[in-house]
Amino acid sequence: MTGRSLRILVVEDEMMIAFFIEDCLDALGHTIVGPASRVANALQLVATESFDLALLDINVAGEEIYPVAHELKSRGIPFVFLSGYGSRGLSGEWVGSPMLPKPFVAGDLETRLQTVITAAT
Amino acid sequence: MAKTPAKRTNDQGNENGELAPPSPLIVGIGASAGGLEAFKTFFSLMPTDSGMAFVLIQHLDPNRLSMLVDLLSAATQMPVTEAKDGAQLIANHVYVIPPDATLTVESDVLRVARPAPPRETRRPIDTFFVSLAAAQGDNAVCIILSGGGSDGSIGLTAIKEHGGLTLAQAEFDSHAKLGMPSSAAATGRVDDVLPVEQMPEKLLDYARYLIALRDRIGAGGVLAGDADSLAKICRIVRSVVGHDFSEYKDKTLMRRIQRRMQGARAETMDDYVNYLRKEPREVRSLFQEFLISVTDFFRDPEAFAALVAQALPQIVADKGANDKIRIWVSGCATGEEVYSIAILLKEQLAGKDGAPILQIFATDIDEEAIVHARAGRYRLDQLEGVSPARREKWFVQDNDRWCPAKQLRELCVFSVHNAIKDPPFSKLDLIVCRNLLIYLQPPAQDRLMGVFEYALRPGGYLFLGLSESLARQNKTFSIVDKKNRIFRRRENVLASLPNLPYATAKVASGQIAARSAATPEDRLDIDTRRTMERHFPAYIVVDARNEVVRFSTHVAKYLGPSPGAASLDLFALLQRPLRPPARAALQKAVRGRQSAVQKNISVEIDGATHMIDLLAEPVGGGESGFCVLAFLDRGLAPLASASSHEGVQDLEQELALTRERLQASVDELEVNNEEMKSANEEYQSVNEELQSTNEELETSKEEMQSINEELQTVNAELNAKNDTLLRLNSDLKNFLDSTEIATLFLDSQLRVTNFTPAMTGLFHLRESDYQRPVTEIAPRFEYGDLAHDVAEVLRTLMMVEREVATSAGRVFIMRIRPCRRLDNVIDGVVVTFLDVTDRKQLDAERLLRSEMVVSSGDAIIGLDSKGVILSWNAGAEALCGYANAHATGRHVELIVPADLRSGELDRRTRINRGERVENYDTMGQRRDAGLVDVSVSISPVKDGAGAITGASLIVRNITERVRAKERQALLLLELNHRVKNTLATVQSIASQTLSDEPDPQAFRDAFQKRLAALSRTHNLLSDGDWRGSPLHDVLLAETAPYTNGADRVAIEGPNVKLTPGASLALGMAFHELATNAAKYGGFSVPAGRVQVKWGVENGGGERRLHLEWRESNGPAVTTPKRRGLGSRLIERGLAHQLNGTAELRFESAGVRFILEAPLASIEAAP
Repeated sequence: MTGRSLRILVVEDEMMIAFFIEDCLDALGHTIVGPASRVANALQLVATESFDLALLDINVAGEEIYPVAHELKSRGIPFVFLSGYGSRGLSGEWVGSPMLPKPFVAGDLETRLQTVITAAT
Repeated sequence: MAKTPAKRTNDQGNENGELAPPSPLIVGIGASAGGLEAFKTFFSLMPTDSGMAFVLIQHLDPNRLSMLVDLLSAATQMPVTEAKDGAQLIANHVYVIPPDATLTVESDVLRVARPAPPRETRRPIDTFFVSLAAAQGDNAVCIILSGGGSDGSIGLTAIKEHGGLTLAQAEFDSHAKLGMPSSAAATGRVDDVLPVEQMPEKLLDYARYLIALRDRIGAGGVLAGDADSLAKICRIVRSVVGHDFSEYKDKTLMRRIQRRMQGARAETMDDYVNYLRKEPREVRSLFQEFLISVTDFFRDPEAFAALVAQALPQIVADKGANDKIRIWVSGCATGEEVYSIAILLKEQLAGKDGAPILQIFATDIDEEAIVHARAGRYRLDQLEGVSPARREKWFVQDNDRWCPAKQLRELCVFSVHNAIKDPPFSKLDLIVCRNLLIYLQPPAQDRLMGVFEYALRPGGYLFLGLSESLARQNKTFSIVDKKNRIFRRRENVLASLPNLPYATAKVASGQIAARSAATPEDRLDIDTRRTMERHFPAYIVVDARNEVVRFSTHVAKYLGPSPGAASLDLFALLQRPLRPPARAALQKAVRGRQSAVQKNISVEIDGATHMIDLLAEPVGGGESGFCVLAFLDRGLAPLASASSHEGVQDLEQELALTRERLQASVDELEVNNEEMKSANEEYQSVNEELQSTNEELETSKEEMQSINEELQTVNAELNAKNDTLLRLNSDLKNFLDSTEIATLFLDSQLRVTNFTPAMTGLFHLRESDYQRPVTEIAPRFEYGDLAHDVAEVLRTLMMVEREVATSAGRVFIMRIRPCRRLDNVIDGVVVTFLDVTDRKQLDAERLLRSEMVVSSGDAIIGLDSKGVILSWNAGAEALCGYANAHATGRHVELIVPADLRSGELDRRTRINRGERVENYDTMGQRRDAGLVDVSVSISPVKDGAGAITGASLIVRNITERVRAKERQALLLLELNHRVKNTLATVQSIASQTLSDEPDPQAFRDAFQKRLAALSRTHNLLSDGDWRGSPLHDVLLAETAPYTNGADRVAIEGPNVKLTPGASLALGMAFHELATNAAKYGGFSVPAGRVQVKWGVENGGGERRLHLEWRESNGPAVTTPKRRGLGSRLIERGLAHQLNGTAELRFESAGVRFILEAPLASIEAAP
């Protein structure tokens, strides 16, 4: 584990996966903002909270997360997509964005976070 | 002829000397056996615009229809019709004589008279040609073609006489064909003998020539000739023919020569002379032309009447029964005048007792004419000059000919004789010579007159033609009737035989000199002559006939004329004793052409017996025929001496007796001579009779030939028809054999009359089945009632059609049609069988294919090579929304979206090149502009020759397939996602359970239980095809393990179908609640109970679920210290995932869980 403790926004509607992410981040020493289970909630959190990075489930209760991604991108906040669809889950302009396919192990999450943070700084 | 035809333009021209206007040539063509072929050949070469009219006369059987019109119509484009009475002759038409009719022409109109005369007297060609000659003159042409007999020859002569053109058919070269052509040629009146093939050309030339010639003929109708050429011509004629026409009048000859020139196509006299030199035949033709004379019965009736009035009575008057009336008709031609004279004389002699013997000698240099005159067969029109009464009395009708009666005929003797050249008859009572003198030049006329003078007995009559006159012979002849040209020979003038032409002119002039005043002799000569005459022997000069022409002086003593009629016959004048020796001497002298002497003839002179020598010697070399008979007196006969007186007296008596006997013999001889002369004349009669019989046999022969010709004609026609039939028959057979349509011909009794080879496949037919009823022959197919159908066809005259199938599986269309003969009579039926098996099959296939296209759900579109829509089925209408009428004719781009058109064009190009184009998926454009996913296959369409004419598109709507594919992709994606989620969930459960239960056993237990709960929810979802599960079932599944069938849980609430996600979440939550209840709460004791109630309410603009889990009757509730996954899940997880609120209360009565969430997060789509 490197770095500081990050404030990470988590958007994931599946409660079990949200729990898992929470536990991982917790174990890594990061602080969780949310988790939000709906895009509307996430947008609200983006507007009101500050955080360093976001973990975004692509398909949140039937909605696509891209509006949130747009917001984050415009704010320059890095994020990682969490996908149950594999690389094919990303569409259009988001192809090539940092992504972590589900299921993932804690190690993979840690690595991905590092990469993204390093890239962002 | 008595009639003067209106259109003659030869000798006479018309009255004003003008020429008649040109009119179409009328060509009469006569033929008999073999004529058909000749006609056909002729017309096939005759142009159809010649401007001539053609009339065909053929010997036809009167009882049969003639097919000549039909047969000839095929040979020429000119209209060929049967001649009808009253029809006008039109140029470029062909008219054919009808059977059993006589065809003539008047002016330019045809006349048909029925019935035809009996066969024996029929001469249709002659009849027509004669009328044609009279009607058309030199506009007429006659052609005599193949045939037997001699019909046509007389008509041809008539044509020639009237200035027309005459042709006869040649066998080869210029030899006339045997039969009619050669008979015609024998008349000498044929202009040309040609093969038929050359005749059309000849006619056309002639027509052209006539036109050219008319332009050059001056007024009066005679070419200007020159004397030199004329003389040449006469010399040529004389050298070839032997007759000298140089004494004939120029104009006459010129006219005749001109006619020949027409025929010979010579334009100038010199041309004609050259022609004559080259062609001896032409010379003969010219000779015949010269001879043409026109004669008639009682020609110039007034003159004949005058003859009867003024000459005949005198002639007859002083003749007794033993006398002869001798008449000479010179230039008698065809004998009409001869018989006329005979009639008149017979009439004159009628009623006279003791009529004298009548002898008429008729001569002409034209042998042909003499033959005709001898034959004495005249047509009725030739007897125009004969009154009906005379005709009745003096003529015998022989079918259509009239012959002088035997009593007339036997009076006439015909012979060939040249009046100028040959020795004449003598002692004639009448000479008839009409229209001979006019042709002669004056010297010849004189000579002829001299002949006549000699030939006539003193007081005999001379009857000349009306245009003749006696300029010079007034001395010898007295005029009886000047107008009618009747003259009488003076009685007192001595006849002297005129010298014949071969005698030199000097002799002739010497003759004339002798008649004129004698040159005066001087006195001395006269006296000397007289003196010497007394001493010269007496002499007599006789001519060739032993007629005395000169007496010398002192000759009378030698004469002792026989009593009876006076005569200058030497042997009637001399004393009897002198006659035999004189005869002997003269004969010897004439034969030997030198003097002959008879010695010692005793003659009584003045009572004394003289011994005479007779000297006979020819005068003038013997050529003239004159002889001198001189009497040389040798003195008195010596007296007989006494001594031998008796012997001498005996001898003398014997001698006298001998002389008597000799004289008697001589007399007898003379009588015999006379008898022989009679006998001779009788034999002549017999000869004439035999000739008559010969003529009759000839006639019979001609009749037979006629019949033969008719039969040959019929035969030729039948042969021609037969050939046609054979040809048609073989054509028919070939046609029937070659046709593959089975055809059967039946007569009205259903008997087989004919069939094609193909029929054997349908009926068991064999060659021997002809004429068998078809009902006896087995068919190879099922057919109800042929007899009935045929009967119907025959009755209604309509076609009957049926379809029949053979046992072999072939299908035929059978048609029965009525059979009509050419004359429209129904004659049976024709049954045809048309094999339609293949056609039906093709039709069925085609129907099937078109049904497939029509009924196909796919769009089947036919395009041409340019992409224009040719066909558009119902499937296309449904797919693209365009009706057939709208789409057909439009370009296929109509249904191709714009951005895909270049691709479509490319594909069509490759198709047109013959490349294969694989099936491909694309989009089509509908009429409503919407797009539809389609699968297209293009195939090239080829014509019979393999060339590509377009393309066929099959377009299938694959929207369903596309959607299914998409759905499947989606499902796959979903599956993937779900599996991943499940793995992630299990991962989370494992991780959190491990955190809660470090003890492996406890971990295993809790983990397995949680997995089982997950699994139960999965099963429920599976049962519902992952569309969702009812809340009730989820609840039941999670509480069931802890109730063990006991009634420990009460579930109550409306039917709510949960989404898979909500099912899983709630499933896990209920598992935790139930586990807790089993450990500590409502399920831990038997009395414990769990009650779950939920409901749906409207709150805050949305529907919300309110659920409560209430435990009761369980152990006392204490708040747990440890909050594991269960609590996390129940208290936080559900609220998070369901976006609602959750509360877990540990109440004293029991645990209580309250959940509230919007239904939108929970409820699955229905």
